[in-house]
Amino acid sequence: MVTLNQRRREAVFRVIADPTRRKILGLLRGRAHTVNEIAGNFRSSRPAISKHLRLLRSVGLVETKREGTARICRLNAAPLQVVDAWLQDYQQFWRESLRGLKRYVEDAR
Amino acid sequence: MSSTSTIDVIVEEITVKAPAERIFAALTDPAQRVAWWGLKGRFETKHMESDLRAGGHWLMSGTGMGGKPFEVHGVYRTIERPRVLAFTWLPSWDTEATETLVRFDLSERDGVTTVRLTHSGFAGEGSRTRHQGWPQILDWLKGYAES
Repeated sequence: MVTLNQRRREAVFRVIADPTRRKILGLLRGRAHTVNEIAGNFRSSRPAISKHLRLLRSVGLVETKREGTARICRLNAAPLQVVDAWLQDYQQFWRESLRGLKRYVEDAR
Repeated sequence: MSSTSTIDVIVEEITVKAPAERIFAALTDPAQRVAWWGLKGRFETKHMESDLRAGGHWLMSGTGMGGKPFEVHGVYRTIERPRVLAFTWLPSWDTEATETLVRFDLSERDGVTTVRLTHSGFAGEGSRTRHQGWPQILDWLKGYAES
């Protein structure tokens, strides 16, 4: 069964797999940008950038708010924790595997 | 046991009271590998194939969490018996995974061997688009978590 958390996790991985979206995150890391400012950094059309922003918002990596006529986009890095957890799972896996190796080799002499 | 992990490399070390050759055999001989590689009820290795030469294929399969079958396979890259064993690693259970590199370094002294495991390539050139940019992403996360 695929849990909601797993689905969320995979959504984050899918969203950051795209270079344009990672570049947007990079821009926002420095400071908040308006949608127009973001679009000014790319050759892609404005609707294409809006679509990327929508995907980034859907997993919570980007938050937007209106200021007058402009939409301000801000980075929220918290959802990236799933990436970190993914690596930590591996670390745990190896730690336990090496313990198994030690037990096996030392006991079977 | 010690562990360090930089942004995209996992390093684990353990000391084993046995000669390096003994450990190398436990890593590469299928009959031995299935005897120790696993965590009861979580990851049980039942089968291994091993064509132990540079470029040779290896494969490991068994039962994972919830009784689900898993398979992980790869190709041997470096074999310097009994000091170095490196192979590529591609698991079936992780839909986000691309091919990464696992390396064991065995250094023996007075019959005691330090086993160092390095799992790398999560963001290296060996892996594809999915992992590119991860060091940077994890770096952001670190900055975020520590601020």
